[in-house]
Amino acid sequence: MLAGSIFMSGLDRMPDAPATPTDESPVLERFLRESERRALRMAELAAGNREEALDLVQDAMLGFVRHYAARPADEWPPLFWRVLDSRINDWHRRQRVRGRWLGWFDRAGDDDEHDDPIAAAPDPCEPGPLARLADSEAGIALEAALRALPLRQRQAFLLRLWEGLDVADTAAAMRCSEGSVKTHLWRALANLRNTLEKYR
Amino acid sequence: MNTPRKPLDPRVPTAAESGAQEAWVERAVALLDESARDLDAATLSRLNRARQTALASRRRPRQRWLIGGGFAAAALALVVAIGINQRAVPPPALSADVAAQEDLDALVGDDSPDLYENLDFYAWLDAQQQDGNG
Repeated sequence: MLAGSIFMSGLDRMPDAPATPTDESPVLERFLRESERRALRMAELAAGNREEALDLVQDAMLGFVRHYAARPADEWPPLFWRVLDSRINDWHRRQRVRGRWLGWFDRAGDDDEHDDPIAAAPDPCEPGPLARLADSEAGIALEAALRALPLRQRQAFLLRLWEGLDVADTAAAMRCSEGSVKTHLWRALANLRNTLEKYR
Repeated sequence: MNTPRKPLDPRVPTAAESGAQEAWVERAVALLDESARDLDAATLSRLNRARQTALASRRRPRQRWLIGGGFAAAALALVVAIGINQRAVPPPALSADVAAQEDLDALVGDDSPDLYENLDFYAWLDAQQQDGNG
């Protein structure tokens, strides 16, 4: 089981919003302002370019405000990420359909079933793939490794570890079971580690 | 009772593995934080606009209701005004007026009602007399 301490890193970023239904725009605006940059980076990692990512974030904000702004503010984080995840999935689906028409198939794919868990298991003596890289190099390496991940694995990694949602909220955001979140996350960690090994 | 022992789950890391994993995952999270913090001004401006657009969409339905309600009230007032106006000045019943005028002429005129009842006979008699004269 993964240690829980590091997985709380994003929780301190969540707004101290009231737990009662509210329609006060300042609270909503603050929540969106605090989430939008990470939402953009998440969308950018999925879409591969900033323009598309900005459109996805704007769509997500509109959808979230229209459908969920009246809900209690403490329910907002998983709902917002759920809307964004849905937009990213839709975008990804459209790209795949377009790719089929163009005769191009994404070789990375989203098929998580062919991963070999034993081959992907981490080496216990290794301090970590990013340990020997300078920040700029490590940032580039991490970005490339995240982009190479299948969509669901990347979303599980970003929502659970970066955004700091707990397993239940991550499952709600990704519309899957908690067990699936754990599986996607474990595979994401194994794949990231393997990919980042090349940068050492 | 002996239960068969489960094989070691490769997904469960040891304490050493967890520690190593924590270190590089923490660094990955820090790098992601940094990448989100260092966005350029143009991107931040676009994000701000996107946020304002989303917030404005929340206020818009109320404005739509106000505008829609205003139009509905104006239309209702117009319909009521037209209805009242039509009641106050009823349109003239032309055919009824013409018939009444003909009846009045018949009563007030010098000709007796008998003439109107046997108009065809008097017309024939007039024609006979003209033939006889001719």
